[in-house]
Amino acid sequence: MAQATTGQAPGVRVDGLTVVYKTPAGELPAVRDVSLTLEPGSITGIVGESGSGKSTLALSLLNAVQPPGRISAGSVQIDGLGDVVGLEGERLRKARGAHIGYVFQAAQNSLNPLKTVGKQLLDLGRSHGVEDRRGLVREARELLGRMGLDGARVLDSYQHELSGGMRQRVGIMLALVLNAQVVVLDEPTTALDMITQANILKIVREVHAERGLTTLVITHDIGVVAEVADRLAVMYGGQLVEQGPTRQVLGDPRHPYTKGLIKAIPRLVGDIDEARALPGRPPTLATVPKAGCVFRERCALRMDICDTDDPAAVAHGPRIVACHAVKVKEHA
Amino acid sequence: MITGNGIVKTFKQRGNMLGAREVRALRGVDFSIPKGGAASFIGESGCGKTTLGRIIAGLETYDGGEIAIDGVPMSSLTLKRRQPHFRKIQMIHQDPYSALNPTRTVHQTLRAPLALRAKQTGRPKAWMDERAAEVLSLVGLDPATVLARYPHQLSGGMRQRVVIARALTVDPEMLVADEAVSMIDVSLRLGILALLKDLRERLGVSVLFITHDVATARYIGDDGDLYVIYRGQVVERGPVDTVIADPVHPYTQSLLSAIPVLHGLELPGEQPVAPLEALDAGQDDTGCLFAARCPFRGERCDTERPLLQLTEGVPQEHACFHPERRSVIARPMSEV
Repeated sequence: MAQATTGQAPGVRVDGLTVVYKTPAGELPAVRDVSLTLEPGSITGIVGESGSGKSTLALSLLNAVQPPGRISAGSVQIDGLGDVVGLEGERLRKARGAHIGYVFQAAQNSLNPLKTVGKQLLDLGRSHGVEDRRGLVREARELLGRMGLDGARVLDSYQHELSGGMRQRVGIMLALVLNAQVVVLDEPTTALDMITQANILKIVREVHAERGLTTLVITHDIGVVAEVADRLAVMYGGQLVEQGPTRQVLGDPRHPYTKGLIKAIPRLVGDIDEARALPGRPPTLATVPKAGCVFRERCALRMDICDTDDPAAVAHGPRIVACHAVKVKEHA
Repeated sequence: MITGNGIVKTFKQRGNMLGAREVRALRGVDFSIPKGGAASFIGESGCGKTTLGRIIAGLETYDGGEIAIDGVPMSSLTLKRRQPHFRKIQMIHQDPYSALNPTRTVHQTLRAPLALRAKQTGRPKAWMDERAAEVLSLVGLDPATVLARYPHQLSGGMRQRVVIARALTVDPEMLVADEAVSMIDVSLRLGILALLKDLRERLGVSVLFITHDVATARYIGDDGDLYVIYRGQVVERGPVDTVIADPVHPYTQSLLSAIPVLHGLELPGEQPVAPLEALDAGQDDTGCLFAARCPFRGERCDTERPLLQLTEGVPQEHACFHPERRSVIARPMSEV
């Protein structure tokens, strides 16, 4: 593990990324002109509802968007690797796993039910040309032990012999065992109960710090981001509508969607009637407006300009907000 | 009014390489849900909350104890005679997509139970369409736009409303909602919770809410009871806001401590309990069921099992020898 922490964590710069899906209605953007920087050694959280494009964005970091989808514009620069969008074939395959680890949504279902975890680990090693198989197994055992599991027993187990929380830890182990320095976790705690979730989030935080990683967490649950992320990006209708340091965004949200989302979270204390659902519903690929603000249909601050012009993502110090109404307020 | 007394359920697993074993899913649970009232069962996965919900909805048998619906004990009836009683209790499942037939329109989905209902009560066919429109309006959907749609043409929130509308077609007295909002988009969750609360107020339907997300339990009504279930036993029970604000059982405290703090908006609780290690299925059953994971256990806990009871100075029932209030939940910064 010592060698893992010596290198400086790589930074990731997503610039003007657009991902389109081919549909009978033409190519529709699931991710539209997204720019996002993951600072070296930070944990960034992306929050979005279903259909917001957050998983598509995460897959783009691996250049792994599957047809009928494709990256139609933009770049994903990763330090020490270059532009992932330009990689293909063998080089791309090697980069996945060795540079970028990915913990899939529902790790429960991403394991092979017919093979023990150990067998799958060796398959992973073989496909990446790892010669020191003993070392690989030792590293896997250490990682599992670090996460509070009996490594030897887990490697001998089939996925059905493991609980949801254990499988999620196996997913994290598989993402890290090849010494990836950029890790993407897609919905790491969905379908886990609160106590297991708290344990997994603690592990994510600790492993991130110990191994000096750059981490991206994708989730629909603001609570998850609040617990682990330094920086929070809010995604809606394929665009990032607000970004900033987590505490600042939660304490003082600027974008009307962020405000509404925070208000809509059921809380343990406070006036029940103060919380309310956002009116309307999130757009889908087919209903997302082609021009103008993606959130305007549900927005209380809607103005004429929102129907015609895309609000640009404007930086206010460490905060980035894409909203016409917010800009007006700042200038006034 | 639905009451349960000492409900016991044991699942027998067939032998695997670890040998055959029994899972005691419920170890004598009492509950009581008044007409138009609310109750929530909370606990981690495998605690028995879903099994109890299924038993209450008549979808699962039980091995001991008694369930009474409006005062009629179910064990005194044959299976066939129980049916009309259990029909008063309808289940809302977690995943509205798999709960609806993808090849049926909303109209067809609602028509099936309504046809049965019309036959039973001798109503004309025209009543069915009227009633279908009525239940859709009750759940906040516009009949004109959704009746002809298929499930895939609706959002998750709308689908769950259709599932609730279908449950309402048989005029139920109680809805059992098992993780009914956990698969709904965050911005729409409160809408479904508000709907359940609204149905209680308008129709007098009682709601049993089963969840691992304690915060959502408050939103179906603060007059309801919260039941904290651990390994098949109710370990704490009381009014929802009392149990959340002043939990006395260490298990309740660790559940509440595990809820993420919205830093920037909230401050962590003053005495949070560290996250528990995973439940070891092979634990023995002597003494307090929670003792092995309990940070506050005493000697008595290893040998004797505490029963759910009221003790002096604690407003809610609990099953702990060392009940102590701890302030574990996050506080809004605006109130500090």
